Amino acid sequence: MKKEISSLHVPHNKHTAGCEPVRIALPREVVLPMNMHSGHDAVPVVAVGDHVKVGQMIAREEGRFSSPVHASVSGTVTEIGTMDTAKGGKTATIRIESDGKMEVDASVQPPVLTDCDSFLQAIRDSGMVGLGGAAFPTWAKLNEARNPDYHVDTVLINAAECEPYITSDHRMMLSHPDWIADGIEYLRKYMSDYLSGAVYKICIEKNKPDAIEVLKKTFADKPYVQIQELNAIYPQGAKQVMLYNATGRVAVAGRRFPSFGALIINVSSLALTAHYLKTGMPLVERIVTVDGPAVAKPMNLIAPIGTSIRELLNVTGLKSEPGKVVVGGPMNGEAICSVDDPVVKVSNAVLAFDEKSAVLPEASACINCGRCIEKCPVGISVASVERMMKIADEEYRVKMLIDTGVRQCVDCACCSYVCPAHRPLLQINQQAKSYLKRYAAEQKEKVGGNTK
Amino acid sequence: MSKLHISPTPHIHQAGSSTRRIMLDVIIALLPAAVAGVVIFGIGALWTILTCVAAAVASEFLFDLCTHKKETVSDLSAVVTGLLLALNLSTNVPLWQCALGSVFAMVIVKGCFGGLGKNLVNPAIAARVFLLLAFTTTVAGGAAPLTDLTATATPLTTINQGAEAAKSISVSNLFLGNYGGAIGETCTIALLLGFGYLVARRVIQWYVPVSFVGTVFVCAFLFGGFDAGFALREILAGGLLLGAIFMATDYVTTPNTGVGRVAFCVGAGILTWLIRQYGGYPEGVSIAILTMNLLTPFLSDIFKRKTLGGVK
Repeated sequence: MKKEISSLHVPHNKHTAGCEPVRIALPREVVLPMNMHSGHDAVPVVAVGDHVKVGQMIAREEGRFSSPVHASVSGTVTEIGTMDTAKGGKTATIRIESDGKMEVDASVQPPVLTDCDSFLQAIRDSGMVGLGGAAFPTWAKLNEARNPDYHVDTVLINAAECEPYITSDHRMMLSHPDWIADGIEYLRKYMSDYLSGAVYKICIEKNKPDAIEVLKKTFADKPYVQIQELNAIYPQGAKQVMLYNATGRVAVAGRRFPSFGALIINVSSLALTAHYLKTGMPLVERIVTVDGPAVAKPMNLIAPIGTSIRELLNVTGLKSEPGKVVVGGPMNGEAICSVDDPVVKVSNAVLAFDEKSAVLPEASACINCGRCIEKCPVGISVASVERMMKIADEEYRVKMLIDTGVRQCVDCACCSYVCPAHRPLLQINQQAKSYLKRYAAEQKEKVGGNTK
Repeated sequence: MSKLHISPTPHIHQAGSSTRRIMLDVIIALLPAAVAGVVIFGIGALWTILTCVAAAVASEFLFDLCTHKKETVSDLSAVVTGLLLALNLSTNVPLWQCALGSVFAMVIVKGCFGGLGKNLVNPAIAARVFLLLAFTTTVAGGAAPLTDLTATATPLTTINQGAEAAKSISVSNLFLGNYGGAIGETCTIALLLGFGYLVARRVIQWYVPVSFVGTVFVCAFLFGGFDAGFALREILAGGLLLGAIFMATDYVTTPNTGVGRVAFCVGAGILTWLIRQYGGYPEGVSIAILTMNLLTPFLSDIFKRKTLGGVK
């Protein structure tokens, strides 16, 4: 039997698992940021005063791993502005005042698919990104499987939804299992040269028995689709953890994911890609779980991308003034500066915390309890990383840091979650990781310079 | 809406997980042994405990003040150290020596090395060994229990003479603890209560003390003539259980992985056996743990977890 991966039992708090998604009243305006994907910002192609329709491309992709943006309501562009991002920078935004008609643009037509190239181009044009949180353009991820060095025999469909509170993927599986099925058929048809004979594993946590039942029924007659039931533990949905738990393969440091013979795609990304390929409607709205200690009535809402988070909180109501609002899960989501920030492509949840739960205790000295190491899913010597970062000699520092295993960090935050001294361990890991990356890049440059 | 807090992930934290809570749990787990000590050795034991705790807390407070550090008394670690030291001393030790031990523990062993989490060796154990060397006549050996004021030798001295001599010691009395020794070390039942509590609260892993005690048991069994009764008396008498449950599980001065902790305990167990059999003192637990404390950074490194997918 393979060794079990370390993990945590984080309280699930899936209050909204039974909540059918409800469409919110059409917002008066939407604000669409240009950074809703992992790569470079998109570039607006509309001007103030232009009239736009639902599904119309209003910003084109620009640069590596960028992604286009589409209007989510019909109406008039009132502003091309900027907003602060959670990472500290700024990004351009397009503000559209809704005309209330939700007129669909003429360009919204099912794409013509002939081969793999046209298939991936269509997905590229749809602006679909990884909805699990990474926001990596879906076409680019699929495109990686075409590399002749890789032999992908397993497609992992990530339906773990291991973060507390969030149920948007869960609800997607309950309402649209047919979209997931379509998505798999599209991959089988247009990626057949690269995914021939591949097994499709829908990896789902056991705390969603109703969704498991629906999926089992949907795929009863499809031997190439397996419903892989996984324990409801955190971070089951981290790709390295899922790869190991679903296939037993180990994600080795510094290698691209498909080199392990697997692709991983979020279940909602796959379902919505299929929906787009059928209808031509790009990603203009999504299910958002609205929950958290300060929310009066936890709900699943369907909202146009760009809707202000304030509007969602108005629908669910608030028990108390929120002290912190998080977009995404409580373990890995981003705390936002203002409730006027919009819902973006990857906003699977909006969590409002009351003043009391908003502020975590101050960090105190490490007492070497080892819980961070014990709970790390990949077994990093988390407690040592901070000490190693302070080593004066650079070469020795790098060697010792690599020895801690920190390059394998999956950013799950289990270490910070359990730390009794409340130390920001995840952030220290992230610092160490980016330091090592920078160092490696510098070394490469030096070596390159010497050979010239 | 007022201003929102922003902070890095995660936005939730394990309920009830804090340094203070861990220290509180250790204090709660030590209470049965402390109460048993007062019952067995009389009110003098209470004065020893109060003196050690008060001196530890006061010296940590003053040290923080003098070195312009943030107050750390509220994390309760000073209380734990004071209490542990007291339970490792007998009522024969004059109170001023008890207080001096606490000051030594808090200022020299802990404070001077950087405070909580930075000390190399367990402060309570280092203080006990310091007192043992400085004031051997009062610290070595143990006070007689109230019920038998004529008892002079601790059972461990008798047991250490060999399997034959050990038979004169009653196992049930070793469980009850009504014999001479340090305040907190004699009553096995009270110590096991504390052990159960710490395991239930997940403050310690059961296999850490068990591997320590088990190693001593195996050594005593193998080298004591394959006599289980002798080996059992060997582990019940003296400070082994107190040391194994409360000192060999101290996070700061023991390795930070499960395997490392077991290695620590096996080493400490072997050393304990060697000192008990061949050393000048009847008891070797303190010195064994102190020695292993010094090896902790190396054990943590040697027995660190293997990273999944890590490449050298």
